[in-house]
Amino acid sequence: MIQLKAVNKYFGKFQALKDINLAIAAKEIIVICGPSGSGKSTLIRCINGLERQYSGTIKTQAKIGMCFQQFNLFPHLTVLQNCTLSLITMHKLSKLRSEELARKYLARVKILDQQYKYPAQLSGGQQQRLAIARSLTIDPQIMLFDEPTSALDPEMIREVLEIIVDLANEGMTIVCVTHEMRFARSIADRILFMDQGEIIEQASPEQFFANPTTNRAKLFLSNIMVADNNRFI
Amino acid sequence: MLQIGTFPARVADKKLSMVSCVLACLLLLYVLAYLLPHLPDPIGSRSHLFIAGTKVTVLLALSAGLFGLIIGTGVGLAKLSTNKLLCNAASFFIWILRGTPLLTQILFVYYVLPIWFPVLKLNDFNSALIALSLNVAAYNAEVIRAGILAIPKGQYEAGITLGLSHYKIMRYIIFPQAFKISIPSLINNFIALIKDSSLASCIGLLELSLAGTRIASETFNPLPPLITVSFIYLSLTSLISIVMYYFEKSGAVNDPA
Repeated sequence: MIQLKAVNKYFGKFQALKDINLAIAAKEIIVICGPSGSGKSTLIRCINGLERQYSGTIKTQAKIGMCFQQFNLFPHLTVLQNCTLSLITMHKLSKLRSEELARKYLARVKILDQQYKYPAQLSGGQQQRLAIARSLTIDPQIMLFDEPTSALDPEMIREVLEIIVDLANEGMTIVCVTHEMRFARSIADRILFMDQGEIIEQASPEQFFANPTTNRAKLFLSNIMVADNNRFI
Repeated sequence: MLQIGTFPARVADKKLSMVSCVLACLLLLYVLAYLLPHLPDPIGSRSHLFIAGTKVTVLLALSAGLFGLIIGTGVGLAKLSTNKLLCNAASFFIWILRGTPLLTQILFVYYVLPIWFPVLKLNDFNSALIALSLNVAAYNAEVIRAGILAIPKGQYEAGITLGLSHYKIMRYIIFPQAFKISIPSLINNFIALIKDSSLASCIGLLELSLAGTRIASETFNPLPPLITVSFIYLSLTSLISIVMYYFEKSGAVNDPA
């Protein structure tokens, strides 16, 4: 579905991605983890074209939706309008029809009752769920998540992860950057571990968590698991 | 019993008090127009001059404000454009109009433009209107540009991921938010414009300040007309300030947290 070949990306002299090769199959769930600054976000931003001017090739044969760490909701539009914007302006649907569709997606992320509020009036978890609903309106075949729960209060994380799990169960292809290791273990088909712009480990979750091969991954896991122990999806 | 207002009720209160303040100011202007003829001599007998001058000032400020907003928005957007030519042209426009005195700009439009372009037959009002519009446009352009730059990059990126074109992102996502945060500064410029319109007196446009000056020289007594003129200007600018104050308060409801 998505093919990356020899992708390199520089920010000035800093090399953010080093020779990335990656193939993502349909319905695959990929979790990317790694220390901050390792190029995780840059990688998924390259996949949907938010970052350009890389070398190498990225082939995509799918409509790509994306959710951001900071949600990036439109604060001047209501919950419903956030979802109808692309339907009305780009897909040229009528207001009535797009609202109908938008409500379907809002119901799917369980915030239909908030439809006439503004994003600032929602909780963090509701805001991220709205962001998910909004990106679903373009009917993507693949969803990218860039640390979707990192800006959330611990209590709100679960409700967002549950939605992502629902999507996965419905057959959505997902690439997710996250530090939620239990979630990663339960949902991922494949874990990519990145460090300093390189994918240094690729494995099934069972293998990655039981027997990480690189020292960097071992260190990362031992550090993060301590913090992650009291969380569960 | 202690009463704590609910959120929507407070908003309604604000709208109500805004309406009452606006009405109060309009009433003040009306009373002013009614009272002026009844004031003691140097003012009362010449009240029609003040009223006519106020009308010209209001008309000039409102129309220059409107044109200045439209042109300023265009120039502000042009300055942000990736098109080098457009961007440089906008920078040049702002550089000239902010860097030279408004007084010389008014004189230039009135005396020089008709010589260069004889087709243009500009009377005093239209000359002042052109100069004031362009001048306030230069200031507004910078305000609009700053407003657009203040919108987080993530808003644009969210638009891209939803498949929106550059134009649609600007039109539906960036500009509405940028305009809202620009409003206080735009109003600031508009208040300055109301007072700056007095410079049109230098080309003989009988607006409020020139009305005052004329009466002062006719009567050899500058104090009463100057006080009257200042008071009318103050009423006009207060009206704008008050509307703005309540507008900002009520508009804050859907601000990002």
